[in-house]
Amino acid sequence: MKHGFRESWVIVALFLAPALLGLALFRLAPILIALIGGFTGTRLTGETVWVGLQNYERLVSDPAFWNSVRITLLFNVIINPLQILIALGLALLVLRPTPLVPLFRAAYMAPMTVSLSLTSILWAILLEPTMGPVNGLLRALGVPPQPFWRSEEQALATLIAVASWKGVGYWMVFLLAGLLLVPKELHEAAMIDGASAWQRFRWVTLPLMRRPLAFVLVADTAANFLLFAPMYLITQGGPNGATALLMFEAYQAAFTYLDRGRALALSTVILLVIGLLAVLELRLLRERES
Amino acid sequence: MTISDLRRLFVAFVRYLALVLVATVLLLPIYWLVVASFRPAADIFATSSSVSLATLVPERLTLDHWREAWSGELPRAVANSLFVALTTAGLGVLINSLAGFAFAVFEFPLKRVIFAFVLATFMMPFESIVIPLYMLVRGLALTDTYAALILPEVASGLVIFLFRQFFAAVPKELYEAARIDGASWLQIWWRLTLPLSGPTIATASLMLFVHQWDAFFWPLVAAPSQERIVVQVAIARNVTLEVANWGALFASASTAILLALIPFLLLQRFYLRTITAASER
Repeated sequence: MKHGFRESWVIVALFLAPALLGLALFRLAPILIALIGGFTGTRLTGETVWVGLQNYERLVSDPAFWNSVRITLLFNVIINPLQILIALGLALLVLRPTPLVPLFRAAYMAPMTVSLSLTSILWAILLEPTMGPVNGLLRALGVPPQPFWRSEEQALATLIAVASWKGVGYWMVFLLAGLLLVPKELHEAAMIDGASAWQRFRWVTLPLMRRPLAFVLVADTAANFLLFAPMYLITQGGPNGATALLMFEAYQAAFTYLDRGRALALSTVILLVIGLLAVLELRLLRERES
Repeated sequence: MTISDLRRLFVAFVRYLALVLVATVLLLPIYWLVVASFRPAADIFATSSSVSLATLVPERLTLDHWREAWSGELPRAVANSLFVALTTAGLGVLINSLAGFAFAVFEFPLKRVIFAFVLATFMMPFESIVIPLYMLVRGLALTDTYAALILPEVASGLVIFLFRQFFAAVPKELYEAARIDGASWLQIWWRLTLPLSGPTIATASLMLFVHQWDAFFWPLVAAPSQERIVVQVAIARNVTLEVANWGALFASASTAILLALIPFLLLQRFYLRTITAASER
């Protein structure tokens, strides 16, 4: 809406203040605390002192930090395209509202209502190496039981699969919303011109899906960047650092090792990445509008 | 039947087969968990380590695990979570719709900048600030209070955005007519636009409610005491303390899953509709 009503600032402030104060206090202030706190340390006496870049110097010389960065990047490079591809596939699968399809749409959204901590618990049990039903099923099919969470080789892949079980239905909704907005007439016109199903998807649907895809890509990356519950509940970052994502490293620094400076420096690193992603997304969206 | 009829039939068959397969992968784990919570302990292990028809269809049922789960701290945790989630949803709909209304209806300086800030907050997930927020809340002496659980989650960029999208689609003439009739802006917001925005209110409440119901990381650090314990944290404690007692763990996990799943299934058609309407503009 370009031309809204001009009202006195008192009225406008009355409407905006509650929400904006909340966002300023509980979103903006913590960012500032992380940014500034990353340059401080705690003496043994308990007082907070300015230490300059010391926290960051310690981070970059710490192999655990670089392992965590490597695992976080590897995890994101795999999980985000994977989830978006599956979500897009699901959205296409439930796009045409033939009989029972609304029921399937609802069914696909069901796992997103299972919290991440419950998802972790559920899949810790399902994938339990000796008692769990997944290995029971594998045995019935003649496949040897797998260690899943307990193995350094399989833990990250297991984490990706489990997070995707919960996530794909959620992202499907946004992509389905985009697909539902593609005008039917465009498809009909392309069909008259003799375009195949793939050609119609590639040249009619995909170009119009740029905006929802950009949104889902960035929002999905941000969500996956901050995975915490599975590490806390199941892997503790292991085995041998195989699932040591950055968020869990920051948690351990803050609450296990009580290292305030390191925790805030790690928080700053996380915030910078998230901020970068937000800027990227706003730019992608604006490009589309102009 | 012609060849093209056959082909269409085959495509439909493959499509429904895929639909059923995906639904199985997504729903079977939830079904298994809920069913297992009603099985005698011996059956849980026997039917999961070796798969047969009994893995899907229980032979014996018991309420023991549910009784055990509900005699512990679970009722307290469910009550706490419900209180926190409902309060957040109620307050959140009020203050975020107020802000959404201002962005949709008023013209004011720095509007674009402030709105960009609002959008930025919803692209920045809550978890990224949990650690500095904890230090802030500790500084305000609010740790281990309901306020610490509720207040940080009330203002939401995404919900402001959803309301703005909805209010911006209301014809401007409606606002003008109401102004000429002498209604104040607060009256217009409360009596005219809020009653129109049912699906948006449903979606916004659902988002805020589910976000709080699912909350784990923040309550774990901000309100660790027994009095303020929330559902997710209570269940997670069962895992770390009594790994052997699967039955009670399943019953409490089933409780938490069903209490979120059932309202969602009732409201999901509004959800898809609101997301579609918001993407349109």
